[in-house]
Formats: sequence, C-alpha cells, structure tokens
Amino acid sequence: MKWKNRDVYFYTFLLVTLVLASVGHLFSGVIPITFENYSDALWDFDPQSTPQLIAREFRIPRLVISMLAGSALAVSGMLMQTLFNNPLAGPYVLGINSGSSLFVAFSLFSGFSIFSSDLGIVASALLGAFVFGSILLGFSMYTKSQVSLLLIGLMLGSFTTAIITVLQSTTQAEELKAFTIWTMGSLQHVQFEQLPLLLLIFSGALLLCLLLIKPMNVLILGEKTTELLGFNIRKIRLLTITITAIFTGLITAYCGPIAFVGLAVPNITRMLFRTQSHGKLLVANLVNGALFLVLSDIIIQLVEPIVTIPINAFTSLIGAPILMLIVLKRIR
Amino acid sequence: MIHLKNIEVGYANPLFHAEDIQLETGKVYALIGSNGSGKTTLLHAIIGRKHILSGTVFVNQKDVRLQSQKELAKNVAFVSSKFEGVEHLTVREYITLGRAPHTDAFGRLRPNDHQQIDYAIRALCIEEFCDRLTQEISDGERQLAAIARAISQDTTSIILDEPTAFLDYGNRKRLIRTLHYIAKELDKCVVFSTHDIDLCLEEEIALLLIDQSNGTLSVPFPISKTEILAKGFNYRQE
Repeated sequence: MKWKNRDVYFYTFLLVTLVLASVGHLFSGVIPITFENYSDALWDFDPQSTPQLIAREFRIPRLVISMLAGSALAVSGMLMQTLFNNPLAGPYVLGINSGSSLFVAFSLFSGFSIFSSDLGIVASALLGAFVFGSILLGFSMYTKSQVSLLLIGLMLGSFTTAIITVLQSTTQAEELKAFTIWTMGSLQHVQFEQLPLLLLIFSGALLLCLLLIKPMNVLILGEKTTELLGFNIRKIRLLTITITAIFTGLITAYCGPIAFVGLAVPNITRMLFRTQSHGKLLVANLVNGALFLVLSDIIIQLVEPIVTIPINAFTSLIGAPILMLIVLKRIR
Repeated sequence: MIHLKNIEVGYANPLFHAEDIQLETGKVYALIGSNGSGKTTLLHAIIGRKHILSGTVFVNQKDVRLQSQKELAKNVAFVSSKFEGVEHLTVREYITLGRAPHTDAFGRLRPNDHQQIDYAIRALCIEEFCDRLTQEISDGERQLAAIARAISQDTTSIILDEPTAFLDYGNRKRLIRTLHYIAKELDKCVVFSTHDIDLCLEEEIALLLIDQSNGTLSVPFPISKTEILAKGFNYRQE
C-alpha cells in the first residue's frame, strides 16, 4: 500500500473535518453544555448536576453511536460491494437489516425475558443478520445479475415486514410496545453504560476486517481469478458475511434500521479516492461513514425545534437519490 | 513442467485421450483443436479447476488433485482470453496482485516481491504504460499486462486460454512472439490454446494437436497445414 501525497492531504482533511464535526455535534443541542461539563461528566461525574447528566447520558453516547454506526455501515457496504462485485450492494438494500428486525421480533415476542434483555436483543440481531446474509449469499451463487440481487434483497425486506405484521396481531400489548419502540430506534436510545460492549464488538469486527484486505484486493479481478491466485473463496465469503452481520446486527440492535449509509458512503469514497486498495478504502470508509452520520445528526438537531426527522428518514432522503444515480451511471 | 499421464478428457463421454505427454520448461506449446474438442477442459484440468475422466495431470511432478489451491497457485499461472480492466486499478497494481500466493496474510510486499514485479514489467517491455489505468489501455496492452501478472506469480508453468482471440493481426503475431520469448528466456513451460494455426506455423511453435480422427492428443512432428486441417478439423481441401 503506497501512500501518495494526494492521499495524505485527503485523509488529513477528512480527519480534521471529522474532529470539528464531532465537537460541533457535542455543542449543537438545544440545551447549552460547556466544555467543563463534558470533562467532568467523563472524569468526575456528579449525578446531581443536570448539564453533566445530559452530557453523560445523552450527548456523549449519541456522538459515539453516530460515529460507530456510520463507520460500521460504510465498511459493511464496502465489503459487500466488493464481494458481490456490485455497486448497489449494502446492508440495508440487500435486507441484512431485515434479518435483524425479524429475529429481534421473534425474541421480543417469545415472552422469555432472557431473549428480551439487552444482550438477548444484540445476539438475535447478529444472528438474524447472519442468517439473511447467508440466504443472500446462496442466491448470489445462482444469479450474477446485479439488479436481481437487489430485488432479492427487497423481497427479503417485504417478507420480513409481512411476518412481523402477523406476529404483531397475535401478541401481548406489552411486548408489542417494546418492539415498536425498538423499531422506531434512533441514535438517542443508547446509554453510556452500553458503550463499552458496543466498542468491544465493533473493534473485534474491525480486527477481522484486516484479514479481508488482501482477499478483497484480489477479488476485484473476479472469483475465478481469486481462486487461481490461491484463495479459498468459501472462506472469504463466510468471513465477509460474518463481519457484515456483526457490524449491521450490532448497529441495528442499538439504533434500529439506518438506510442507505452502507450503500452511499462506499460509493462516494471510491469516487473520491480513485483506488482499489482496500487498505486505503477501509480507513477512508471508517472516516467518511462516521463523518456522514455525525453531520446528518447535527442537521437533525439543528432543525429539531422546527421539525423532528428520524435518522432513518434523513439518510433515506440523501441515500435514495444516490442509489438512483448509481443505477443510471454504473449498472450494466 | 507438466506431465499428462494416461488422461481421458471429456464430460459424459471422453473427447480425447493422451497416453504420456511431457511438456517441458523453456518451450511454448500451442493447443490446437476444433470448437468443442476439449481444449478449455484440458487447460482447466491443468490449473485444477476441473477434473478429468481418468488419468493424472502432474504439475511440477505432483498430482494437481493433491495440491492445495495455494500450492497450485505457486506452480501454475493462468491467463484468460480477455481481461476487461478494473476501475481505478493501474497496470502496476494489477501486476502486483500476481504476488498474492507469495505474500503474507496482509499482502505486504517484501523487496523480493518488488523485484519480481519490476522483472515482469521489463520482460514484457510495458514500462511506458505500467502507471496507466487498466481500463484506459488497449486490448493488446491489457493482454500483455495479464501475461506480466502471470509472470510476477513466479510459476514454472503459464497456461493461457485463447490469448489471441480478441486481438488484431499485428498484436496476435507480437503476442505469440512474446510467449516464445518468455518461455525461452525465463525458462517457463507455456501452453496456450489458439485457432491461429498459420501464425503458429510461421513462428515455429510446437503444436499440441487434438486429433479428431482417432481421438488422441499428440505433439506431432513438423506437420503441414493440410494435415492439421484434416486431422484436427476434419477438413479436406477439394
């Protein structure tokens, strides 16, 4: 991996922007919180102080989850786009999120408290993402058409919605409420105490990503050539789906579905960096994904006094037109 | 080095058989046969992608079926008939991918890898376009880049499936000469399938003929075009 001057400027620029955006994010809420409140909230927390409480329980988790969600979804999208050789691939459009939603519905409606605990929801979201990822992988071996794969993803989504509707009509009011709250999910529901687990799982998946850099660099030549260069294609597929499932399932568990980030950001990144080196693309997508969601969330917070936009709706507003552009320009 | 021993090639029914054929390093072989005669199947058997009906294919003295994907990638390289190019990928980066079987899990390049890459670029005299994008160069240049990638893989054998199929006459002739050159100078065993019988005869390339009349694969002694057409293609001039 050779770093050119142009790359270095680009990364520095994006990183600085990300830092500025993060600071902006922390100070963009309606209630004013000072820098001191933040440092106290982290190192010398006093539960009696309202500003500190807001900083610790709302602002910091919201910033961290925005960054993690953006990065995780962007990297998932990048991996899926290379694996399926399809610029339209992404965890949302291919229905990986739907898998998480379905399995979370199952576990919440099951009535067992183990399944509806925090860890239970995360586990079922990961499992659901993995199962749907595997189904998709199965289909991708039979159809090489880029648009067909998208249609299968859409169908997985509709199928899930249908099953959930049936489940909802036969379930108790209490469980229904829990699920409804979960589906409305947003960046606001994560608690400070949940951050360590989130960060741990995220870092684990990120470390696994490092193993995929070399195979991904070769995979752009096609699966056949990759095999002839000594790679085990099944292992690559399995690892990719596992990582994607962890990232997507994790974020879906904590934030609900967030549309199009995984599709739009990797495409923008490839256009900006003009490279196929997945080492560079990985770093770039981590930064760009985080930046994309942090900026989106700043805008959401700024317009909040006038209108409340859920994060999923906001990313769709931006992401859907980008998807249409890609279909027009790049799909054969 | 490739050794075909008692092999039978085909699908449900055998298409041809070969008793004992040694393909040596330092030589280039043109595999000639009519459409559907089993050329590609044979090439795929050598690179371990397909199995033959019976017999054994040895690459570097070892049965290909007993070699792992990675081991085989160090012994034999494959070039398909067309490389379309990849967005944002330069020729040099593309050639670098040929080092994949030799690098560590993260694909880091050692000095030796850089040497092999530069060596491949020099051997094919493609310095002038090695920093351009693979989608921007011509079909002929891309085919040379693909061969350079195979050379950087540092194998004893290189298999090419109809490498001249999409090239114009000048590029075909140049490509066949290049194959001859790399076989001799880099001491590799080069096997390519082709329909360019005239060019192979002009360049005095060793032929590997799939004989339709008796269903055998053979390395015939100097043979005339009329004989090739009669045996390989069941075609007789009036």
